[in-house]
Amino acid sequence: MTTATATAAQGARRRRRGFGAWWAWVVFILGALYFILPLIGVFAHSIRTRPDIFLAYRQVFADPAFFRGLGYSFLAGLLTVVISLLIIVPTAYWVRLRVPQLRPVVEFVTLMPFVIPPVVLAFGLIRIYSQGPVRLASTDTGLNVMLVGAYVVLSFPYMYRAVDTGLAAIDVRTLTEAAQSLGSGWARILSRVIFPNLRTSLLSGAFLTLAIVIGEYTIAQVLARTTAFAPYLSLLGRNQPYQPAAVSLISFGLTWLAMILIAFLGRGSRTRVQVAGAR
Amino acid sequence: MADVAAVREQEARIAPPAPSRLSWSWLGLVPFFLFCTAFLFLPVAFLVIGSFNDRAGNLTLQNYADLSTGIIPGAFANSIEVSLVTAVAGGVFGFLLAASVVLGGLPRVLRSGLMTFSGVASNFAGIPLALAFIFTLGTLGFLTTLLQSLGLTGFRGVNLTSKLGVEVVYMYFQFPLMVLIIAPALEGLRREWREAAENMGASAFQYWRHVALPILTPSILGAMILLFGNSFGAQATAFQLTGGTLPLVTLVISSQIRGDVLHNPGLGYAMSMGMVVIMGMSILLYTLLQRRAERWLRS
Amino acid sequence: MTTKRNLTRWAGLSAASAVLIAACSTPAATTAPSVAPPASVAPSESAAASESAAAGGFEQFVPDQAMLDAAKAEGTVTTIALPHDWCNYGETISTFKERTGLEVNELDPNAGSGDEIEAIKANKDNPGPSAPDVIDVGLSFGPSAKEEGLLQAHKVATWDTIPESAKDAEGFWWGDYYGVLAFEVNTAVVPNVPQDWADLLKPEYNGQVALAGDPRTSNQAIQAVYAAALANGGSLDNAQPGLDFFKQLNDSGNLRPIIATAATVAAGETPITIRWTYNALSNRDTTAASGGPEIAVVVPASGRFAGVYVQGISAFAPHPNAAKLWQEFLYSDEGQNVWLKGYCHPIRYENLVSENKVPQEQLDKLPDVEGAVFPTLDQLNKATELITTGWDSTVGANIQ
Repeated sequence: MTTATATAAQGARRRRRGFGAWWAWVVFILGALYFILPLIGVFAHSIRTRPDIFLAYRQVFADPAFFRGLGYSFLAGLLTVVISLLIIVPTAYWVRLRVPQLRPVVEFVTLMPFVIPPVVLAFGLIRIYSQGPVRLASTDTGLNVMLVGAYVVLSFPYMYRAVDTGLAAIDVRTLTEAAQSLGSGWARILSRVIFPNLRTSLLSGAFLTLAIVIGEYTIAQVLARTTAFAPYLSLLGRNQPYQPAAVSLISFGLTWLAMILIAFLGRGSRTRVQVAGAR
Repeated sequence: MADVAAVREQEARIAPPAPSRLSWSWLGLVPFFLFCTAFLFLPVAFLVIGSFNDRAGNLTLQNYADLSTGIIPGAFANSIEVSLVTAVAGGVFGFLLAASVVLGGLPRVLRSGLMTFSGVASNFAGIPLALAFIFTLGTLGFLTTLLQSLGLTGFRGVNLTSKLGVEVVYMYFQFPLMVLIIAPALEGLRREWREAAENMGASAFQYWRHVALPILTPSILGAMILLFGNSFGAQATAFQLTGGTLPLVTLVISSQIRGDVLHNPGLGYAMSMGMVVIMGMSILLYTLLQRRAERWLRS
Repeated sequence: MTTKRNLTRWAGLSAASAVLIAACSTPAATTAPSVAPPASVAPSESAAASESAAAGGFEQFVPDQAMLDAAKAEGTVTTIALPHDWCNYGETISTFKERTGLEVNELDPNAGSGDEIEAIKANKDNPGPSAPDVIDVGLSFGPSAKEEGLLQAHKVATWDTIPESAKDAEGFWWGDYYGVLAFEVNTAVVPNVPQDWADLLKPEYNGQVALAGDPRTSNQAIQAVYAAALANGGSLDNAQPGLDFFKQLNDSGNLRPIIATAATVAAGETPITIRWTYNALSNRDTTAASGGPEIAVVVPASGRFAGVYVQGISAFAPHPNAAKLWQEFLYSDEGQNVWLKGYCHPIRYENLVSENKVPQEQLDKLPDVEGAVFPTLDQLNKATELITTGWDSTVGANIQ
């Protein structure tokens, strides 16, 4: 028993010194290689232009519509994230706490967007909102609303799963109990207790959603949102030999930057106290 | 004993145990369902109706009958297989990757780097991803030429036009998805539990087998069903890599409802309904597994 | 939070913002394709023309005033499925804007013919920006769209110069341009350029031949198979030899099943690609402009197959007058010449050449497509049916 404790303590000491377990390094490096090598392949292809090896990049950056497109999609992404959070967090919380029998139903609904072809969803939206009382499809603003609505639905699988996993890791019942015994209503419980404890999950969900929105093409095209980033890129000419490679790297990089910004802004106090003991 | 009764009573007030019939609690889900109706159910209604129409617009069940003909059953088999493989393999390695940064004591910056990178990579799919792998591992890819110049002259690149190739490429967005979803669950593992286990003489293996994994299993299962769905619905990447030669459900659907040839959209819609059914069955299976995993947890 | 953490956080934020701002402040340069200077006005008929026979030319498009006014009231025309590098549509659009002062609302450039039809159907009751006014679709879609009531009739001013076989008698659809299937070859990887279909089977081209689409859904790919039939003992009525040829190609390992794009050709992964002459030539130019490898475009010696696309106006077009004006522009001498600059043979080609309305230098740039055959609608439909249903069973790359 002493040997086991000693080895464990040794491992803990090594970790505390910030060295990192050997297996962690192996896994991380393997993962990093798998992710980075294809990106190098793209880069290697994009600089085959002669005589100016960065010609493709210059061509991309020369067009102001590039940044207009990125701005539009980024904004749409932020809106989508906010709306999605406001719908999903209370829903996941409520399902966990009060209506666990409906959990399979809710999960099924949130996974539906995977099996509905986006082109069908988009054309369906147009059909519905071009007749009847709510004619969203005839104006630009209406189409923007439809776009964000569709994107929120697309984000549901990821957002719900991220939030649900986060809720599983904290003791929802005890937290709620504690808050209620101190006199909080539901709104305050959600905003002051649940949301702050879900920070990592919310960030994960936000990343996933933002990436989807910035890269989404089909629905934006069908709804004639040609200012959006991905539709704009397609006008650059999918049959250019080197530009698409440069474009995918640039959008990869810019999206990563956006994520880093969000991560920084979303970083709260690292020393938060975890409420409630083991489940 | 009066205390126990008092506690039970309080618990029942705050969060009553699953009632035999639904109380009004389900009203709390109305906003969610309203939103889904406006932007999901109504458009999908067209899909359902369309699946019962033929090209001329007449009502028919032929589309559903056609589901068992031609390449369609094979396409379903392929899609399910590819999705299962990428869900499990993606889940396992993604879990390890997340564990390495959350629990493995790596420098903090690597963790933020992995999380943010995963955010981007989770959606790096379609033609750019397919081309990225072709430019790296194709016959003239940079890695291929590098390896050849290092002495592996016989190496002619990896043939990605296969089920295995598609699965390997799919990992690029499956790993990050798993990392992002499972990280909070790993963070939820209290250090005290590990220390308590060690104090009682448990080895690392025993800790994981008896403490950590049982706690994490529901979250892992949940993440895997997400990976399954994610892979099931993917289309553009496989299309670019295989030129459509690998029959996958999503590819067959898009060849029926898009493209330059007059096909049968109704059949495509019927296939989508087939996908919905499969998704439903997967969720049923997953829910059963979930219930068993959570049985011992106070729920 | 410690001061150190604070500092790191702000340093990171500033760095990220600095990069973003730097990236955003690149000087705004030219927008997409620069507009070609308007062609010099040349006498289109009269004695002077015969003297400058070597210097044919055309007049700028002058819109009919009444039509222009009606179109201006609508303000914009909505197009769909027009990539800028397909038949020089980029210049078509910018020239149209110049000549008429109208806006062009461009929908999905990657849409297939099926998507265009679906867009009309879904937007039946919608006058908004997502409803297309005009479509450019494969030949088979013309009659079927007319049958479904999705098109409205209009006969452009130059209607009579469009060949009978390439238009609907009642004016619901009409041909716009054609091209011939050719080999696009990356000569840096393939120095020995194949000249005919049979050459593709040679062992030296192992793993190097690819199609630009899926033969079950893409016009270009299907007609490539159809073209191969012509060179292998088939005919316009019998496309089966085309399937057999591709089966041979696949079994020998010469066929690479990935979808070829300009990028994969330039990278050498699909150094031999089969696509329309106009796309291949346009790729050749853009690859050369980027300093990439030299691309050779070869029209096969035998089996020359011409494919036609057709124009139509949506029956539910929100801007019908603008749509008509767009069509008038496309079928004017200038409009047809802009297509020709993109290496497409405009449908009025014979007529334009006979009236000496094409600049000689453009004529010289066009590939030699002598002997190309055009299928009738029936032949095309029959062959398409055969190829799309037979591909899996005949060629069926057995993917593991």
